[in-house]
Amino acid sequence: MTNEIVKTTNLHKIYDKNGAKPYEALKGISFTVKQGEFVGIMGASGSGKTTLLNIMATLDQPTSGTVQISGEDVTHLTSNQMADFRSRHLGFIFQDFNLLETLTTSENIALPLSLQNVKTSQIQPAVDKVAKQLGIDELLSKYPNQLSGGQKQRVAAARALVSNPSIIFGDEPTGALDSKNARELLDTMTSINKKGVSILLVTHDPFSASFCQRIMFIKDGKIGDELSAQGKSRNEFYQEILNKLGTFEQ
Amino acid sequence: MKFKISLAGLKARWKDYLVLFSGMLMTTAIFYMFEAVSTNNAFTTASRVGQNAKFVFIFGSVLLSLITIVYIFYANNFLMSMRKHDYGLFMMLGAKPSVISRLIMTETLIIGVGSTVIGIILGWGLTKGISGLLVSQLDITLTHFHALYVPAIRATFILFIILFLIAGSLNAITFFRTSALQLLKSQQQSDWKPAKKSILAIEALLGVALLAGGYYAMYDIEELKIMSIPIGLVTIVLGTYFVFNSFFIMLLTILQRSSIGKKGLNSFTIAQLKFRIKDYTKILSVVSLLFALALGAITVGIGFQQMAPKLAAGNSPYALALTNPTHKMRSMINNLDHATQTTYQQKVVGKTVYYRQQQLKAQPLKYAYFKSNDVAKAAVKSIGLNELRDPQSEEYLSAQRLQAPQFQSFQLKAVSDDNFNHIQAQPKQLLVVAVTDMNSQSKQLTKIFNLESQRTSSKYIEMLPGSFSIYQQVKGIFASVQFMGIFLGIAFLAMLASCLMFKILSGTTTDKRRFEMLNKIGTKKSALRHSIMIQVFGLFGLPAILGLIDVAFGLQMFEQSNMLYGSYQIFSWSAIAFVVLYLIYYGLTVLIYSRIVVPRTKVEK
Repeated sequence: MTNEIVKTTNLHKIYDKNGAKPYEALKGISFTVKQGEFVGIMGASGSGKTTLLNIMATLDQPTSGTVQISGEDVTHLTSNQMADFRSRHLGFIFQDFNLLETLTTSENIALPLSLQNVKTSQIQPAVDKVAKQLGIDELLSKYPNQLSGGQKQRVAAARALVSNPSIIFGDEPTGALDSKNARELLDTMTSINKKGVSILLVTHDPFSASFCQRIMFIKDGKIGDELSAQGKSRNEFYQEILNKLGTFEQ
Repeated sequence: MKFKISLAGLKARWKDYLVLFSGMLMTTAIFYMFEAVSTNNAFTTASRVGQNAKFVFIFGSVLLSLITIVYIFYANNFLMSMRKHDYGLFMMLGAKPSVISRLIMTETLIIGVGSTVIGIILGWGLTKGISGLLVSQLDITLTHFHALYVPAIRATFILFIILFLIAGSLNAITFFRTSALQLLKSQQQSDWKPAKKSILAIEALLGVALLAGGYYAMYDIEELKIMSIPIGLVTIVLGTYFVFNSFFIMLLTILQRSSIGKKGLNSFTIAQLKFRIKDYTKILSVVSLLFALALGAITVGIGFQQMAPKLAAGNSPYALALTNPTHKMRSMINNLDHATQTTYQQKVVGKTVYYRQQQLKAQPLKYAYFKSNDVAKAAVKSIGLNELRDPQSEEYLSAQRLQAPQFQSFQLKAVSDDNFNHIQAQPKQLLVVAVTDMNSQSKQLTKIFNLESQRTSSKYIEMLPGSFSIYQQVKGIFASVQFMGIFLGIAFLAMLASCLMFKILSGTTTDKRRFEMLNKIGTKKSALRHSIMIQVFGLFGLPAILGLIDVAFGLQMFEQSNMLYGSYQIFSWSAIAFVVLYLIYYGLTVLIYSRIVVPRTKVEK
């Protein structure tokens, strides 16, 4: 049990806006992510992958079913508890970086720690450490608009990592990057993962997905299929994903 | 069809439009309020001060028009930032730029005409309400003042429609030149670049030095005389600008580097505030200066009015001097609190008024004068018999002024009781009444004064003896100044605060993303709201604080040159009133801002 970082059980989400026809975005989703796993969730637009990510990230609540992260049921937390939980246990990397333009790189990375009221004297060493790990220690005093897209995304990754989260959620993190920078970021994520950090990546890009160890395909609110990279080279896995997408989307 | 699309656009985002619309209403209403006073020549020139103050109204009108222009352009930017995406979409779907331009024009004009018409109606109501309130509170009468005033309606309508036409055309041109793709992707990117440290430091120092120089110039008005006004004006305007542009930024940077700056959301809050202050330097400077002007005008207006008893006291030690008062007058005088009365016998023969020497010796007449040209410090002394023999002396002249108007040019003579008794004339009585607190006795004194006026021929009314007539004249003159000061002060402040409110609210589109990100990384909603409260407080508070300091030093000009006394007490009261009004705007801005940017549990992607 303890090595399960994420466990979702029979998740349902029904959008029932008054007046509109009720719409069921998730129809009973159950899966687990183990400690240290690099898992991808793939699916077309409207398949429910963003809804699923929002619920796992405690940004939204399911209509029924439960989500456990590090053994804690997060589905019935209050809004404040959710916020606390996010700052302590989850890291995020978004498609559009979401850095604050008015803060320096260093201040951006430090933000999750200040939110947890970590002592000032402990913040800077933690920031320096993660910056070094991601090779952005030269950029710490720069502002986001002085950075390239790839650098910005590495800063975002550092911000996600700095609080030693149980898991990092990546929401199309390579969406706004060119192929070279995307590749670099994925390599970075792989190396982070190799150090034991669990990652859950939501994407519709087969190339990004090919860096995962396991991929779940979601369609019409249900998990349809799963692929594992075990024993395959990344190229082979990429081909397999492409083939699967070809049949799965039909 | 296009009209329909425009209306649909309005309907779709009615909440944002409601904010915009209510702001516009306030602006129009306030502008109307001002115009109701300033375009009414009969009212403004009814008092002597009003005649001299004509330029104040012209200046005020220009200033308010400028603020209105700035305001409309801010509001218009807010409107356009909401519509860019929609119009981009229309263009993407094949709508011609000319069609889009017409759509924008229609939309801007619908909002413009609507808010102008309703705003004028609101302004009429506000003018009626506030003027009524002031009249009853200040116990004054306003002649020729009308809440519904056609020239004011005309001026307001013309200015606003012209402004909306310009705004609409500018919007249309902007869209005409922008490609659909740019519009669709028009998420405002702030290009925050930190200023160079050395320049920042120089500017900060310069700002503080200029302000200090300006304050000193106002303080040292006795030495600098009239020069202190232009010196103060230039240095304070420039100083305010640099203080916002650099000094506050520097302070915030220091705060950000300290351990406080690293706690919780503080680094974000301070950075946001820094960014905003830099971005809003001009408007914050204007707000600060006008805040000071409005508050200063109110304080000085009230201050002058409160000088009335002091001015009166230096003019005569007696509130009233009545020759042969009627029975009714006597009984009313007996009802006055803390009043002393003295009666002198007199006889008038030819062009001479005779008094009993004995009586004048036993209870001398008193004479009041200002100590060394100081209008607030009156002194009183007794008039000796010797002085009464010298027609050139101040004392003699002052005793002369106590006579009934028709005798004021007559010669005064003190004679022995024997001589007095032998004078063949009807004996008369001169009753002089002194009160310790003219303000509190003002109602009763007015009644007696009116009785005296009734039995005096109209050509002599202005010459009625006693300080109460001076008191009434001063009150009369400055009551309208005070009224205008308060009325326009409120109008200015409300306008400035709504201007600031809009400028802040128009930044919500960019902030929304920041707050969503903060929510995602686990910031509590209470922390987000707290951050908003501090940010908005900084933007409202800093100009207000600077404005208050401006007034505090500005009043020194009046105090040092002995024109006003005790103005700081009035200042503290009017400052409290200002701050309360300002706080309402602050609260409103925080509320609307939070509603727009603090994400709900479900975060939109």
